[in-house]
Amino acid sequence: MTAVSPAADPLAAPFWDAARRGRLVIQRCQGCGELRWPPLAGCPECRSRDATWDEVRPEGTIWSFVVYHRAFSAELKDQIPYTVVMVQLDDGPYLVGRFDDDEDRPPAIGGRVTAMFAETDGVPSVRWRAAQTTDGDNSNGKA
Amino acid sequence: MSSQRNPVAGRVAIVGLGHTQQGTLPGRSPEEHAVDAALAALADAGLRPDGIDGLIACKSVQGQGNDVAVGQLLGLNLPYVQSLDYGTCNFSLHLAVMAIMSGLASTILLTYGANARSGKFDFGKPVYGNNMAERAGLVHIAGRAGLALQRHKHLYGTTDEQFGMLAVGQRQWAQSNPNAIFRKPLTMADYLAEPFMVEPLRRSDVTMISDGGVALVVTTPERARDLPNKPVYVSGIAEHAGVRGEHNPENLMRPWLRDSARAIWARTGLKPTDIDVLYIQDPTAVWSLQMLEYYGFCGLGEGGPFLAEGHTLPGGGLPLNTHGGQLSESYTWGWMHLVEALRQLRGQAGDRQVDASQTAMYCSSHGFVKAAASILSTDQSVGA
Repeated sequence: MTAVSPAADPLAAPFWDAARRGRLVIQRCQGCGELRWPPLAGCPECRSRDATWDEVRPEGTIWSFVVYHRAFSAELKDQIPYTVVMVQLDDGPYLVGRFDDDEDRPPAIGGRVTAMFAETDGVPSVRWRAAQTTDGDNSNGKA
Repeated sequence: MSSQRNPVAGRVAIVGLGHTQQGTLPGRSPEEHAVDAALAALADAGLRPDGIDGLIACKSVQGQGNDVAVGQLLGLNLPYVQSLDYGTCNFSLHLAVMAIMSGLASTILLTYGANARSGKFDFGKPVYGNNMAERAGLVHIAGRAGLALQRHKHLYGTTDEQFGMLAVGQRQWAQSNPNAIFRKPLTMADYLAEPFMVEPLRRSDVTMISDGGVALVVTTPERARDLPNKPVYVSGIAEHAGVRGEHNPENLMRPWLRDSARAIWARTGLKPTDIDVLYIQDPTAVWSLQMLEYYGFCGLGEGGPFLAEGHTLPGGGLPLNTHGGQLSESYTWGWMHLVEALRQLRGQAGDRQVDASQTAMYCSSHGFVKAAASILSTDQSVGA
């Protein structure tokens, strides 16, 4: 992973601070209650500037995914092939993230995923892993 | 010619086109390419540099080539000069239409120049521009376009063979375009054998990067009558923004393209079957798939089967990107699409000339945030 200091994006700092503690948090507008991602200085629904960071369930469904076979920067060279997913959280918003590739559980649209939190050299990361199938088809569900 | 419904119809004419060679052109700045193209466009229009009273300079993808930088080399202090952040030429053309109709200027030069290839511009930087995307590795336009295509395949059953008709078809057109950078034949078998770049996209589904300049001259119909070229009139224009830009399906599937489509068909009173030759800006072939559907050339989700039927190929009923587009001809942020539309309408497209082309359409988008479309015709009454 590219080691980018969370401080590089002050607006997103609360997200990474929570990730260090193994929690997924999303900005919630105090004017209208909408959850929003990515973080913004104001609410695009009601224009309120007041927001809190609320914990959401670290679970969702793959809306789509891509597999990078080419590295577009030097840091990514030792990571290809890698998979990026867009996940719709059970609580609503969509997040883009890295998928933990696993031969037994390939990414699939409609597949259930769970957030995995890690910290490398002090830099937190959030990745997505295919959830254990306990309730229904995980491999090729329509969403 | 214009109507209340469509005040621009037939009120502005494109009378000059010019471009440099496209490819690897080291040692020249974006502004130099823009000015080289500008001089060619002025010569084509039968005008001297002092025959214009407006300049709209489109900045390169690198952010260079604004009105001041181009103006210095052109050496003209004009009544109206402006810069534009967005490429594709549709936005530049629309600004020129507004400037002419408002009386700010009557004859306007539009320029674009880039040295993104020789200048080694980094197209791998994070598209979302924040460290969330960077950490995930979602870089390059192919990443988000790939997410959209994967979803399209899932929803509608679009196959690799169907989608590959875009890359294969554009290479067929490029083979009769001496300006095209990629002219080597590309069969469907060749295409399918290509390794994925960003799965589900292969190399041939994504634009090349090239250096070069492009310019157009736009004026009033009255002035056009005194100039050597057959005038090509602007029949209608439309735009629509998707600038909210969240990381969500609306950002990737770009349904707001349909708002631009509805506007241009409503304003012009035209329908997709009125278009003789179609141009779609294509940094990735996903753009063509989306715009064929949203602009109504086929139904939503029906792009795959429609492409498989061959309509967009040489000899088909809806010739698409007859120069080879950004996949096979050159990058130029989509500007060469409009140049090719003009050549077809003037009857100057050589071996790839589509017979009796009278009306052309050009659909483009600025990344994931803005849509634009223009309809052009040699018939001044079209769209009124």
